[in-house]
Amino acid sequence: MDLSAALLQILVAIAAPLVVGLSMGVDRKITARMQNRKGPPVLQPFYDIGKLLLKRPLIINELQVLFAGATLLFYAAALALFVAGGDLLVIFFVAGAGSACLVMGALSSSSPYSYIGGQRELLAVFSYEPVLLLVVLSIGLEGSFLVGDIGAGLLTDLPLVLLSLVPVLVILLEKSPYDIPTAHQEVITGPYVEYSGPYLAIMEVGRWVHLAFIYGLFTLFFWDPDPVVSLAGKVAIAFAALLATIVIDNITARLTRERMVTFMLTAGIGMVALNLLVLFIVRGSL
Amino acid sequence: MSIVEALRKRSPWILHFDTGSCNGCDLEVWALLTPRYDVERFGGLNRANPKHADILLITGPVTKRCEDRLRNLYEQTAEPKLVVACGDCASTGAPFHNCYNVNGGVDKVIPVDVYIPGCAARPEALIDGFVLALSMWDKKVEEAERRKEARK
Repeated sequence: MDLSAALLQILVAIAAPLVVGLSMGVDRKITARMQNRKGPPVLQPFYDIGKLLLKRPLIINELQVLFAGATLLFYAAALALFVAGGDLLVIFFVAGAGSACLVMGALSSSSPYSYIGGQRELLAVFSYEPVLLLVVLSIGLEGSFLVGDIGAGLLTDLPLVLLSLVPVLVILLEKSPYDIPTAHQEVITGPYVEYSGPYLAIMEVGRWVHLAFIYGLFTLFFWDPDPVVSLAGKVAIAFAALLATIVIDNITARLTRERMVTFMLTAGIGMVALNLLVLFIVRGSL
Repeated sequence: MSIVEALRKRSPWILHFDTGSCNGCDLEVWALLTPRYDVERFGGLNRANPKHADILLITGPVTKRCEDRLRNLYEQTAEPKLVVACGDCASTGAPFHNCYNVNGGVDKVIPVDVYIPGCAARPEALIDGFVLALSMWDKKVEEAERRKEARK
């Protein structure tokens, strides 16, 4: 690999979480407009992070700090592998390790809110990870497991697989109806309850990095030989997914934990299975 | 205005605590989150968690039962923080003055930065007080540093 390509990859890996942060601001603005409010400035997430870094740190226990750092590191490693064109399966499991650290950080505190939040986060992981794994496997089946080798054709061949990623994004963006781990009226911010100041900022940036990987999966579904068209299509797919989750968030109420698990393990997996089945029938082989 | 102050001003996260109010002021505090008053346009979010909060909106005359909880919440909030006493009860104890079971105002228990009058305090007055509190960050940080020096 030559130097300019490596530089470009580093630039993309740094810019991706920042773009996700900006999308969070756009999300809050659009949500506010949908509720007939003015809403915060688009750069609000960055103000929040800056403010959190300026707060005096309060440590509950050292383990929590360790897990906060580990969460960010695992997610960052997953994103770096993704940008470098690595193996999707490896990326999936590295990101999974990040989610595990997030849960362990929540469980390391004695606060009941944090504890319940951790348990609920585990349930959320149990709901979306199987779907995510099947999506990754289908992409591997159709194109390649190596992100760098994936070309055109995913969108036309696997439309239902793309659709099954939307509920995954709903869970990860902590939106209704599946904002179970961070249900404000029930467990406040769930697994993030005991983090404060700079550590909360680390967790938030970790979330952005994780979301960058998920949006990355969305962008894989579009590819064009022309880099400009390719980039435009990728951004359009990611933004459409975000817009869909915002609409779903604003028109639904929170469902129970059982409903989340049931939906993801039946409808989520079902959509992927149906897509592959139709593909198999049409082509006669996979 | 320095970047540090600008960041603090633009992201005030709220903790709202009722220390025995009649719920009149609480309703008005909740009204701040509605489309009509929308305090989120200043970046304000109700976090309901002292560890995430920057501004404490306290209502009620602080009953003796609530005293420890209020102090506890104040201590769990990371510096720098601001306390806003919302309504007459929180400011002075008002109708509960000299009652055997109340402290008579938030400032009898924790330091208060802004007092908002009214029974109940109107949402417009609450936003006024909220924005006034935001202009006090620099002073607040200076005070905290002076206290640290004095302790040395």
